[in-house]
Amino acid sequence: MSAVSRPRRLDGVPDPDLVDVRAAQADRAAFAVLYRRYLDRVYGYCFYLLGDHHDAEDTTERTFLAALDAIERFRDQGAGFRSWLFRIAHNQVANALRSRGRRRTYPLESVAEPMAPADPAAEIGQADEARRVRRALAMVAEDRRQVLVLRFVDGLSSREIGAVLDRSPGAVRVLQHRALRDMREILAAGD
Amino acid sequence: MPRTPTVPERLDRALEQLLAGLSPSAAAATAGFDAPGRTLLETADRVRAGLLLPPVAPRFEARLGARLAAAASGDSVAWVLRHPGRLIVTGAVGSAVGVGVTAYAVWRSTRRSSTVRFLHR
Repeated sequence: MSAVSRPRRLDGVPDPDLVDVRAAQADRAAFAVLYRRYLDRVYGYCFYLLGDHHDAEDTTERTFLAALDAIERFRDQGAGFRSWLFRIAHNQVANALRSRGRRRTYPLESVAEPMAPADPAAEIGQADEARRVRRALAMVAEDRRQVLVLRFVDGLSSREIGAVLDRSPGAVRVLQHRALRDMREILAAGD
Repeated sequence: MPRTPTVPERLDRALEQLLAGLSPSAAAATAGFDAPGRTLLETADRVRAGLLLPPVAPRFEARLGARLAAAASGDSVAWVLRHPGRLIVTGAVGSAVGVGVTAYAVWRSTRRSSTVRFLHR
């Protein structure tokens, strides 16, 4: 009896996007499902690395257009669609930073708050804390910042982050450890 | 003999638990972290809470959605753009046909008007 092999990601979990990816490969109009699913997270990744809403929109747009253009060529090779999409976003962010002519961005601390809680007092407290965290994030080295954003904003595992950044999962874990140590020191100095 | 997990590996597992909803102290305890390790997880919790997903502007979402829909349905346009040589040939043939049809129409109308003028002379 032949078992039906289900495509699996590197961490052994079946790729939850694969059915929708197959649908988009058969009919490109079905890409809309993947677009709606990942718009927020791709935008968040671009925003926290570029530090500017306009640049984040531009880079998000380029990412999804490139992904739609290449969807027929996507092959599940263990990393999953999510890693593949964020790798495109990662390349687009790198292009945006190159075209800007700078590798580090600092305006993160001055942008509007991402979300507003209902309670005004809590809103002020959360806004201050979010500003402190963003300021600290902007001071972390770029490769460490990428790991933090992919992990905490986009919810990727260390294996998926490795596939995005073209590094081994072990190297990502080391970067993650160093990034959190940096954040701890920066935040402690600011408190 | 099983290998002892490194600190980054233990931290990674503890982060998975933190992101799944465990408190920093509980995640640190399951990973066997001491006080400095616990402070790393507390930092991670601050980062998680501080880096919220920024809202996407509805106008941008709608515009990009429409652009993707147009790109998805514009396969024939994309095919033509991928084959510019054929686009030039198609354009040249189309132009030649257009010029021919226009010339014929002008010639016909000239003949008709001269015939009409002749009849009314």
